[in-house]
Amino acid sequence: MTITQRTRVEPQSQLAKLMSPIFGKGYGRGLMLVGLCITIFLTVMSILAPFIAPHDPTTIGLGPPNSAPSAVFPLGTDQYGRDMLSRIIWGGRFILLVAVAAVAICLLIGLPIGLVSAYAGGNVDRTVALVMDSIYAFPSLVLAIMIISVFGVTIINEALAIAVVYIPSYFRVVRSQVLSIKEMPYVDAAKSAGAGTPSVLLRYIWPNVTASVVVVATVNFADSILTTAGLDFIGLGLPVTLPDWGIDLTYGRQALPLGVWWTIVFSGGMILLAALGFSLISEGYAERVNPKLR
Amino acid sequence: MRVLPGNPVLLKFEKNTDPALLAQYTHALGLDKPLYVQYFDYLWGLLHGDLGLSMAGAFEPVGPQILSRFPATLELTSYSFIVAVIVGVLLGALGARKTGATDDSVKVFGILIYAFPVFFLGMILQLIFGVWFRILPVSGRLDPGVIPTYLSFGGHSLQTGILTLDSLLSGNLPEFVDAVRHLILPATALGLVISGIFVRMTRANMMETMRADFVTAARARGLKERTVVYSYALRNALLPIVTIMGLQFALLLSGAILTETEFSILGLGSYLVDRINFRDYTAVQGTVVFLALVISSVSLIVDILYAYLDPRVRL
Repeated sequence: MTITQRTRVEPQSQLAKLMSPIFGKGYGRGLMLVGLCITIFLTVMSILAPFIAPHDPTTIGLGPPNSAPSAVFPLGTDQYGRDMLSRIIWGGRFILLVAVAAVAICLLIGLPIGLVSAYAGGNVDRTVALVMDSIYAFPSLVLAIMIISVFGVTIINEALAIAVVYIPSYFRVVRSQVLSIKEMPYVDAAKSAGAGTPSVLLRYIWPNVTASVVVVATVNFADSILTTAGLDFIGLGLPVTLPDWGIDLTYGRQALPLGVWWTIVFSGGMILLAALGFSLISEGYAERVNPKLR
Repeated sequence: MRVLPGNPVLLKFEKNTDPALLAQYTHALGLDKPLYVQYFDYLWGLLHGDLGLSMAGAFEPVGPQILSRFPATLELTSYSFIVAVIVGVLLGALGARKTGATDDSVKVFGILIYAFPVFFLGMILQLIFGVWFRILPVSGRLDPGVIPTYLSFGGHSLQTGILTLDSLLSGNLPEFVDAVRHLILPATALGLVISGIFVRMTRANMMETMRADFVTAARARGLKERTVVYSYALRNALLPIVTIMGLQFALLLSGAILTETEFSILGLGSYLVDRINFRDYTAVQGTVVFLALVISSVSLIVDILYAYLDPRVRL
């Protein structure tokens, strides 16, 4: 017998299919789009900083110190007379880089551990979960402070410290998902059809975990930015010579009693905007994949 | 921590100090022993409640230093927590009850406040209320010149170190007012940032509870919407929120480190930051151990509280 009539499939390009979870209609679309716009804007600004910044961000004495926003310096100058606009444009490079590195390390370490631990089960799983839970329960900033004060203040160590703090979040989410998915009939079916462990994990279980990983990763981006700024603030962050939002915010507050608001409002506002962008993406995406939130 | 380069003894003295004196201090701190011996010495001391000697300054014991700094942190975190719960639960309940613009604003508030670095919010509050309007103090716990008093009678005294409590117990009203005025800005900053999570949790839980059968039943009996929402739905929605309070406490402590530094409050958080810069290993270790103890006690209390609130747990 031949199939005479097939369901008509709407023609859809590969690109549109790929983009549909982002741009397709549905709940959370607005939040996600706003978040994406912010994130893309900040990324492009940071990459193009050398071409769009009007001045060198580190030149001291470009204008009078602590001068209010004016036509010459649209965002004013800081206490050393450096141009705030240029510093703001340059300032995202390192803080965003640390966040990207931290999330990448988390993904590389947290996901495999979560997958394998949950799939293996038994004592292995119990031990790993215990270790992860004890890290998770600890104040994130204290842990990051400990790690950085032990290994020294470098950009890489900062990313590592943040990664260690957030790996348990990935682990928990992946583990809880895998624990329920691995009991599903279709996984048993795959196994009885002769699929090996790597194949079951990667081809059958993994695709169903990705949605929650996206949510965790975007929240992690926002948290990394806030933690980096916090480390800058207590003097364990990026080198003070770099043009950076966290550094500007930290040192800008010295001029706060003089009523100098522009250094802190613009640099702090950028940190807020960056964290907000990722939070919006995460929230929108969560609403999209989790009907309970609607 | 001790594998770190940099000798705390060297940091204390001038470069050309007599080597014998250096050796004497190194010996007094036990730094000349092998690392594993140092470690077991420390653990042994820990079992006896001894956190070791501070490696900077006058080599005082760390334990009493931590205890003298902790009340300020406890005071700040408690008031922040109250702010967070009140703002969070009220806004969350409001968002769940209404739809449309109100709900959307609550949702945006939850996301926005979560993205705020706590010290940035603190700076903005300082700028507005301390620099522009000059109505609230921006640093410390008391005005200079105000001497903290505490309850004492017949040679006995009770000093908790929590200024608002001590001043009330001793009946020193001006001091109480001053302490509260100093707490308003830091507690609001920290409380608001933490409230974001309570807003989201309350809102999500409420929305789920509002669909439950007993809520429909209450409505069917003709109860006022207010009663249904606040006495029926909110009470049940609050249960899972109590559970996350324990985890929020860790977050609150992280925030307290930054808030204390921003508002120059001499609490445990600013102590930790201070000691790190002095390479004071024992003080940093001691603070971390102490914080870990506090956190585990809080989660134990939360678990017990949960069993009390939700009889099902006790089964």
